[in-house]
Amino acid sequence: MKKVKVSSIYLILVFVLLYAPIFYLIFFSFNQGGDMNQFTGFTWEHYATLFADQRMIQIVLNTLLLALLSSLVATLVGTFGALGIAARKQKRLRSTFLTLNNVLMVSPDVIIGASFLILFTSLGISLGFGSVLISHIAFSIPIVVLLVLPKVNELDPALLNAAQDLGATRWQTFSRVIVPFITPGIFSGFFMAFTYSLDDFAVTFFVTGNGFATLAVEIYSRARQGISLEINALSAVMFVFALVLVVGYYFIDQYSRTRRQKRKNHQKAGVMIP
Amino acid sequence: MKKTRSFFMVPYLVWIALFVIAPLILILYQSLTNNQGQFTLQNYVTYGTSWTYLKMTINSFWYALLITAVTLLISYPTAYFLSKTKRQQLWLLLIILPTWINLLLKAYAFIGLLSRSGTVNQFLTFIGVGPKQLLFTDFSFLLVASYIEIPFMILPIYNAIVQLDPALINASRDLGATNLQTFTKVVFPLTISGVKAGIQAVFIPSLSLFMITRLIGGNRVITLGTAIEEHFLTTMNWGMGSTIGVVLIVMMFIMMALTNDRKKKRQEVLPNEKSEG
Amino acid sequence: MEKPIIELKQITKRYDDGFTALENINMTIEPGKFYSLLGPSGSGKTTILRIIAGFTDASEGEVWFEGKKINALPANQRKVNTVFQNYALFPHMDVFDNVAFGLTLKKMPKKEIRERVVNALKVVQLPGYANREISELSGGQQQRVAIARAIVNEPKVLLLDEPLSALDMKLRKDMQYELRELQQRLKITFIFVTHDQEEALAMSDEIFVMNDGKVLQSGTPVDIYDEPINHFVANFIGESNILPGKMVQDFEVQFVGKSFECADAGMRPNEKVEVVLRPEDLDITTPEQGKLVVKVDTQLFRGDHFEIVAYDDDENEWLIHSTNPVKDGKQIGLTFEPEDIHVMRFGEKETDFDARLEQYEEE
Repeated sequence: MKKVKVSSIYLILVFVLLYAPIFYLIFFSFNQGGDMNQFTGFTWEHYATLFADQRMIQIVLNTLLLALLSSLVATLVGTFGALGIAARKQKRLRSTFLTLNNVLMVSPDVIIGASFLILFTSLGISLGFGSVLISHIAFSIPIVVLLVLPKVNELDPALLNAAQDLGATRWQTFSRVIVPFITPGIFSGFFMAFTYSLDDFAVTFFVTGNGFATLAVEIYSRARQGISLEINALSAVMFVFALVLVVGYYFIDQYSRTRRQKRKNHQKAGVMIP
Repeated sequence: MKKTRSFFMVPYLVWIALFVIAPLILILYQSLTNNQGQFTLQNYVTYGTSWTYLKMTINSFWYALLITAVTLLISYPTAYFLSKTKRQQLWLLLIILPTWINLLLKAYAFIGLLSRSGTVNQFLTFIGVGPKQLLFTDFSFLLVASYIEIPFMILPIYNAIVQLDPALINASRDLGATNLQTFTKVVFPLTISGVKAGIQAVFIPSLSLFMITRLIGGNRVITLGTAIEEHFLTTMNWGMGSTIGVVLIVMMFIMMALTNDRKKKRQEVLPNEKSEG
Repeated sequence: MEKPIIELKQITKRYDDGFTALENINMTIEPGKFYSLLGPSGSGKTTILRIIAGFTDASEGEVWFEGKKINALPANQRKVNTVFQNYALFPHMDVFDNVAFGLTLKKMPKKEIRERVVNALKVVQLPGYANREISELSGGQQQRVAIARAIVNEPKVLLLDEPLSALDMKLRKDMQYELRELQQRLKITFIFVTHDQEEALAMSDEIFVMNDGKVLQSGTPVDIYDEPINHFVANFIGESNILPGKMVQDFEVQFVGKSFECADAGMRPNEKVEVVLRPEDLDITTPEQGKLVVKVDTQLFRGDHFEIVAYDDDENEWLIHSTNPVKDGKQIGLTFEPEDIHVMRFGEKETDFDARLEQYEEE
């Protein structure tokens, strides 16, 4: 019994450590004092500033648009890439593809950023929204492949034979059997690509010119100038956003789990659920 | 179908050529040229003979090692205890949640916490130690980098621990092992793959976290990442920047070779072989 | 009766969510015997094993080992060893290190460890396998290593948790012989958990039949087969024809509308009962000579016998084992001896059942 206590104290301590800086930021976002040293009184003022900041709102919209576009394209390219890799017959060819695929997964951001910068310059592509978008697509593709590929590999070849046996054309087999089966992988791939894009700073920092900024780049340049409680307000908003997503995900997951469980129990009892 | 499928794969092949192979070649090529675009080994000679570069490399390596060690020490027990809790999914999401907050915001929080008149110094004054210079020190870099990397160390270790068959722990106890013996002889050896994955996930980025050194480490060039950023975006010496980049890539490969799990590789190949049959 | 090696006294296991896995279990295990815990999945048999091994605690009740209460004794200090369902061999060690694991923990001299491991591998017929990796072994070989790893520690009791369930039919049959032989050679107690009634009948000195966290019946395989206590046991052990009936008086039972002489007694007159007739006890004869007349519906050839499904005039299904085939759709007669009829009372507890049996068998 005592051991259980030691472990929970340790866990609580780690969680406090993990969340202290975040809550510290949020706490001072309500500070009248204007710095993060002394809390002098409660105010919504910094949130008002944030929501009135035209430049900031434009940047948030840019960042979301960038994430959406890049993850959509990366999901498309990556899914077909995964299907293509799985269709290769030779084992060596497949593992070569996987190795190449993983290069960008393990490369440090600075290397990706610097080498893409060289690439764009040598191709004569001007830096801005376009170069950032291409970069985000490029570094999101491998994660999509890695998340879709296991699903493709799980696909039982007998399933495809069954579809053909039942008269499906190749296109029908693809759209009605393969795609529905690998959809969970595609969704998680899209989701990861989206978060990769939102989260990226280093690569964007290298390949963005002067005209275009994402949220991360903007925070970096403002943070270098010192404390501004508008950034605190922004982090509070982003934390709530992430929290809603995580909690929502958790409950959807729990819900579908209990549903699955229920269905199983009913099946055991011989009751069919449509 | 064969042909159509290959046709759909074209964008992916273009991606490999353009964004995987070409950049690697370009960065190697760039490192072998000077500012006039002529072929030269000068960058490597400069790097190899300059004490500043060598010291910076050793420093960067040393910091990355420290950060990895600190995160490992904190993360292993966390992952282990986490695997014993009820509602693991919820706790796991709480570990992942901070990684969704942009790391620049987290670094920014530490600027406030560690500043001259910030909360930590207020506390130090309160307990009588007096204010200290915390921000822009090596210590602050280590602290913030470790803080940011902790979840990335916890997750792979946690995954390895939950994959461990609980019957093995029972088997060990059944054969007379104490809790400690069970841990050292069974649990740790069998979760070492997670530890290695965690080291891979933390060590390489720690070599290249230039924004943390800029914001927290006091604008000094103390990691390979900062050096690359400086050469590319400030001094515009791309040749030298690429040279350091090549060094970083080589380090990365060494690290991967050291932590690659042969047994695990074998298991990963299996599902592919199955799909072939 | 020998001094028991393990005693379970009024063991109850309840989980946090209110689920009761075991209810008031009493068991007495004597040294040197082969015991089986037999029941469908979820009947609590593995939980009993885990409580004896010390992997989980009983919510109520006491576990005694060689005359001492061991509820608080941790698993690593108990003189029992387990063969796990999926073997639980350490994948990062080779065969030798797996088998030597328990001995190295005891800091035994290297030479002695080597001798005993080699010997244990010989016992399970795997000599020369010491340096193999676990992943290189077949299921049957892993099974043997798991047994070697357990017996090398010379436990007083060996606990086996469905150790044969992952093996194919042929191998399973072979291992049944080997396990039984091993137990008789080592003269240690085996407690064997299984859901396979054939396995339990073939190997055990004594069987505990379990369902829903309770022990329904215990006894020798023959006792349990011949005199199942209730519908569940009769159905679970072997194949049977179970029919509703009425105990007219001692040694006379009525079912399918007819009265028959039987060997059971000690019940209330006209008590409602269930009657069991084993398919192999039914003999086929002409309709005129039969105690019952049925019409053959289907039959399957089972290698050593024919399995015949027939129906009587009341649409009761009859299962019959016969060495000779019959014609489909033919009317046949069935005969049986009075001792072949087994009468079961509703809701009778094992102790009452035993007492009643003793009482009228003495007469």
